Amino acid sequence: MSSKIKIYLQPTPVRIWHWLNALGIITLCVTAVQIRFPEHVHLFANYKAAILLHNAAGLVVTFSFTLWFIYYALVRRNMVDVYIPSVDDIQNGLLRQAKFYMLTYFLGWANPHHPTPDNKFNPMQKSAYLAIMFLLVPLVSLTGLLLTNLSPMRDLVLLVGGLKILIAIHFLLACSLCAFLFTHVYLATLGKTPMAYIKPMWTGWEEEDEDHHPHSAS
Amino acid sequence: MITQVFRKTMQIGVLLSLLTLVPTMALAMESSDCKSCHDDTDMVGEELMIEALTFDQTAHAEVGCPACHSSVTEDHPDDGLAPSKASCAECHDGVSEEYVNSIHAENASCNDCHNPHRALGPTAVSGQDMNLQCSTCHENVEMQAKHAEWLPQADLHISTLPCITCHSASDEYVISLYIIKRQSGTPFGGFELASYEELNELSGGKPVQELVDINADGYISLAELRMFNRDSQNKQLRLQGMMTPENVSHDFRTRNDRWDCSFCHASGPEAMQVSYLSLAESDGSFHRVSVEKGAVFDALYGTPDFYMVGASRSSALNYVGMAILAGGMVMPLGHGTLRFLTRKNRKDEEE
Repeated sequence: MSSKIKIYLQPTPVRIWHWLNALGIITLCVTAVQIRFPEHVHLFANYKAAILLHNAAGLVVTFSFTLWFIYYALVRRNMVDVYIPSVDDIQNGLLRQAKFYMLTYFLGWANPHHPTPDNKFNPMQKSAYLAIMFLLVPLVSLTGLLLTNLSPMRDLVLLVGGLKILIAIHFLLACSLCAFLFTHVYLATLGKTPMAYIKPMWTGWEEEDEDHHPHSAS
Repeated sequence: MITQVFRKTMQIGVLLSLLTLVPTMALAMESSDCKSCHDDTDMVGEELMIEALTFDQTAHAEVGCPACHSSVTEDHPDDGLAPSKASCAECHDGVSEEYVNSIHAENASCNDCHNPHRALGPTAVSGQDMNLQCSTCHENVEMQAKHAEWLPQADLHISTLPCITCHSASDEYVISLYIIKRQSGTPFGGFELASYEELNELSGGKPVQELVDINADGYISLAELRMFNRDSQNKQLRLQGMMTPENVSHDFRTRNDRWDCSFCHASGPEAMQVSYLSLAESDGSFHRVSVEKGAVFDALYGTPDFYMVGASRSSALNYVGMAILAGGMVMPLGHGTLRFLTRKNRKDEEE
């Protein structure tokens, strides 16, 4: 049996951002259902409550996105390492990781990727998070901000092509984000035990077999 | 009971005396006689000027000037007598009774909001014009601030809804689309309701309606709406949608159910089916053209700037959204099933 080591994978600002984001996005999804289908869904006391909560949660997610950006781009300065797939990731890593998820995982093989604080994500995660953090979340937030300030930002709305196009973009991107959420939560349970990947996001520390990390004891 | 009978008798009496008086007066004075002077500012001055073109569009033109100004004879104005004025209640008794009992009655008389020489029915005025009457006393900035205390996007609501939508028992709502135009030629100038003159200039001699009703059949199809909205020549023009009542009430009581946004925002697809394009005419009235049923539900270009969250959602987009969400379930369900079936392999590995 190999000995276990603990690595500090998720620093406090990242954990605060993650759970703020989680709370915000779930609130947004739930309120959005009532906002779009008010005659069928009555989760909140009234329509205005759902709207106000949705707007507030939107601001929370926008704020937490800013926190995330400042942390990785200005404080920790490893945004490129963590989020941008390397040439090797694209040439070999993606295929290797896909093979693991689609085949070798079922055969009981170990995950080919071993996270370190500067290389937390496997190549597939990197690609997914690149699209989500640099495209989906900013665009959903921006369209949401426009939608809550229609009169003062009328010209920007027209630049997009009109209110209906803005709504369509916001709605479809939000659906994509929500769809990703299902996959995200599911994959988070794919560790050795269902909680193995979820615990580090709460405590910061991940347990790994020492033989995978000959140089990571620092 | 006795008072009711008395009142009825009095009403019939007034009506009969009017009916007998009007023909005699009409013999003496015709509306055309009045207009020959009162349609000319040089003859009567600004204050007494009645624009005949506008007046002729009102229901009042049908009963004629003498019906309300019965004392005027051929000797007018040399006789020096001030013309008599009928009270609105003489004809509009139902509306008048409703209004007198409202809290608004002590603040304004009928004439304060309705100039009888320009008064048009609810479908012949624009939603913006309806609100113009209110904003004479209820100052816009102050009203926006007051509504913003509880209403999300108060400025948007106030600019796209007639005040009477919530502050009276008006009903039978339809969606009215108005052509608004970017003002002052600057790229960031605000949009305002396009006047007849502006539209006439833009249509280049053709009837104004044909700016949107391209095949001139008196009906605006979804294809024509899309064409209008996509046409780059129309960049300075937009269609603004307003929810306007066809049947107006004068009780001016704020409806309790309007505090709950779902009166409008959850009224369901049924309520948004009927819409009209409402165009300014040269006489100051608005002319409505029927728009294809359900145009406001078109996902993108039918009415690109009209969206009532919850109420005018596109069902096509709902299906696309559902497909995306279903796509998100493929991994958890598909992979999860295989994971469950192969759980033994991983147990062996751990051991």
